[in-house]
Amino acid sequence: MTAVAEGTDTIRELVDDAARSATPLRIAGRSHWIDAGRPVDATRIASLAAHTGVVDYVPGDLTITVRSGTTLKEIEDITRAEGQWLPVDPFGAKNGTIGATIATGSFGPLASSFGRMRDLVLGIEFITGHGKIVRGGGRVVKNVAGFDLVRLITGSWGTLGIVTEVTLRLYSLPSNTLTLALGVADTVTALQQRINATLQAPGIPFAVELIDSSLSTKIGIASKQQLLVRLGGNDATVNAQRAAIESLGGAREIDPPTWDRLRVIEDSLDQSSIVVRLSCIPQRIAEVWSEARSVLDEINGSLMHATPALGIIRCILPGNTQVESVDRLVHLRANPTVIFERLPHDVWERLSPSVIGDRISQRVKNAFDPLGILNPGILGRVS
Amino acid sequence: MTATAGDSLLIDQLEDIVSPRFVMRRESDLLVYNSDGLPGYRRMPRLAVFPGNREEAIRVVRTLAEHGTAFVPRGAGTGLSGGALADDVVLLGMHRLKRLISIDRENLRAVVEPGVVNLHLNRAVAPLGLLYAPDPSSEAACTIGGNIAENAGGPHCLKYGVTLNHVIAMTVILPDGEIITLGNPEGEDAGYDLRGAFIGSEGCFGIALDITVKLTRKPAAVRTMLADFTSVDDAARVTSTIIASGIVPAALEFMDAPTIQVVESSVYAAGYPADAAAVLLIEVDGIAEGVDADRDTVRELCLAGGARNVKVAQNDAERARLWQGRKKAFGAMGRMAPHLVVQDAVIPRTKLAEVLRRIREIADANRVVVCNVFHAGDGNLHPNIPYNADNPDEAERVHRSMGEIMRACVDAGGSITGEHGVGLDKIGYIELIFAPDSLDAMCRLRDVFDPDRRANPGKVVPIHSCQEWRATPAARAS
Repeated sequence: MTAVAEGTDTIRELVDDAARSATPLRIAGRSHWIDAGRPVDATRIASLAAHTGVVDYVPGDLTITVRSGTTLKEIEDITRAEGQWLPVDPFGAKNGTIGATIATGSFGPLASSFGRMRDLVLGIEFITGHGKIVRGGGRVVKNVAGFDLVRLITGSWGTLGIVTEVTLRLYSLPSNTLTLALGVADTVTALQQRINATLQAPGIPFAVELIDSSLSTKIGIASKQQLLVRLGGNDATVNAQRAAIESLGGAREIDPPTWDRLRVIEDSLDQSSIVVRLSCIPQRIAEVWSEARSVLDEINGSLMHATPALGIIRCILPGNTQVESVDRLVHLRANPTVIFERLPHDVWERLSPSVIGDRISQRVKNAFDPLGILNPGILGRVS
Repeated sequence: MTATAGDSLLIDQLEDIVSPRFVMRRESDLLVYNSDGLPGYRRMPRLAVFPGNREEAIRVVRTLAEHGTAFVPRGAGTGLSGGALADDVVLLGMHRLKRLISIDRENLRAVVEPGVVNLHLNRAVAPLGLLYAPDPSSEAACTIGGNIAENAGGPHCLKYGVTLNHVIAMTVILPDGEIITLGNPEGEDAGYDLRGAFIGSEGCFGIALDITVKLTRKPAAVRTMLADFTSVDDAARVTSTIIASGIVPAALEFMDAPTIQVVESSVYAAGYPADAAAVLLIEVDGIAEGVDADRDTVRELCLAGGARNVKVAQNDAERARLWQGRKKAFGAMGRMAPHLVVQDAVIPRTKLAEVLRRIREIADANRVVVCNVFHAGDGNLHPNIPYNADNPDEAERVHRSMGEIMRACVDAGGSITGEHGVGLDKIGYIELIFAPDSLDAMCRLRDVFDPDRRANPGKVVPIHSCQEWRATPAARAS
């Protein structure tokens, strides 16, 4: 059963009702990423898809306050009209909501220069499992008043509260942008050197993303693995950065919508696909990439890309991938940190039963949702 | 009140751990610890203990836990909100834990102990072409541990972000003695962002034992400018114009006439025009070609907005001199009066001119002098009032002005602190911006880390806000 709620007070009533009958709630935006995370033990869906709209937008302050059901596309359109943008590019269609993006702490290639979602949220309003309306942070760009509920709620997957309103930090759109693609060698040493040379070139690129040959083919750039470099800034900056990257050899300009194609690639795949993130310190990215590569080479239809500055590799596998292959990815010799985005429901329990099983996380959960009615199970067992 | 006979067992145990030399109990010894960087508050610790290394720090915290004793962690004591004051409880100084554990040039990170001084870290990484971005004005003395407690900022946080954005992971000892890791130095972190929740918790959640910080490559080129104005309004409006133009300056600092005059008459004289109503100190950085374009744009915006003159520093020495006046402005105010209230509030950047006018009205009505020196690019105001605290009438007028200024900032849609923290000084203002349920949620978060409320008691959130939440009917039933 789905309850579509609009307005903070209505959403609070919905939580109150659920609390009275101890009914678990599955919190949803537009339900695009509803199959991410562990299975949720709830039949009642609280949908925020209708809870949309701008609450406050003063372009001169470079901040915007919106209701959480507002989509990323809507925010993009509103801010672009003022020459501004929210530099957030999580994987998935742009008609996902800002509330879901914040709740899941999602981010994309732009995070390497603009920070992750948690670095861009200035203020938050949410409703706890007690039905209390709580605010953290504010509408200004710098704020240390009170304990940091913004960071606590961002990335908590709706398990501590339903996000109802957020204030975000915006940036001015750059006057010039440019995307370059560079071919990269396969050997670990050559790959790491190429990545380092790109990241250490003068100026900070907006994004640097490594994509494997299958993904490269799929988004129509080349048939081999590539480094995509997104530059932005004033003309002089972009031209100087371009010259520096081109001096590394093998660079060519590609069309900017490539980034949008990369972002939505999974939407065209089987909905049951498996997504696993491997992470490490940045200087080991080539080593982990290479080991993961050898596992993925044996899986038809697999894709892989990485954000080297953050040390994160994302592996996308078809839903029918053998569990043994996933196991090999999880137990690479290089021993990266493994985080799962999507797994078949029956595999979660074995591979990652919980990410909130520690004493402090349990107490956080209990403090904000003592009845356990908000997205129960999505981050795993509490105790 | 200092240590009593009842403390003798605790004192014996602490002396066993750190040696008697580093346990202070006499009032004469404790006197230097009875205030922090904000001289308006005095609180006498019961006793003070200074562990010399990680092992000692762990044993001290566990001993305090066994005794159920409240304590206040302290770094260099440069804080500006009274946050590190221990009111008849134990003061736990962490400044002796000052090992720089490692610097990883390739992965742009360093691991430090909490007592490492901010500037010492920067000096250590500078030869590698790196920097640690958060740069509070007290950088020459303040510690990284204290920076974490306050989520410290600084002029260059406009572009580079505050402490929160530069901490990858920490090992933390909780008030009950348990040691946990927050964040993941080896990759991504899953689950709740407890690292983010801990930073800025003002010593109420525990003590960091080691910290993995992010380092930043030094920008290839820096251009520093001083724009001077004959009107405060013009300087405020130009600030908003620069921010709205899309340029993200590395820093954008504002100083008004009283500040300029006191700086120029001090040993920190920086060559600011003494007859200006306000100056903006603006810095852009990046690659050379790009910053020259930004410098030209900023200069044009300043001149078009009413600046009399825009001076560009021609070399490092000129740049350092321009910055000296800004960084030492608080110190220079010591020339005006024996005491100084340093205030810290944030407003939306489009409201700068309006709020500065309001501050002027408040100052005039209360017959006080407000020196405004602040991070204009962030809208982070520092209205400071030099005064004589021994004159009760003047002290009362200063106190009233600060309350009115705070309300004006909140009315403009702002916050009561941008970087100094709530501590003791702002606790009376926090209810201006947070409703009871929000404050109660903060109390709950504090109780997660410190259920006994022994760490830095009485700070940040008023005790009366920490009501038990009215349980839902279902909760009562279960």
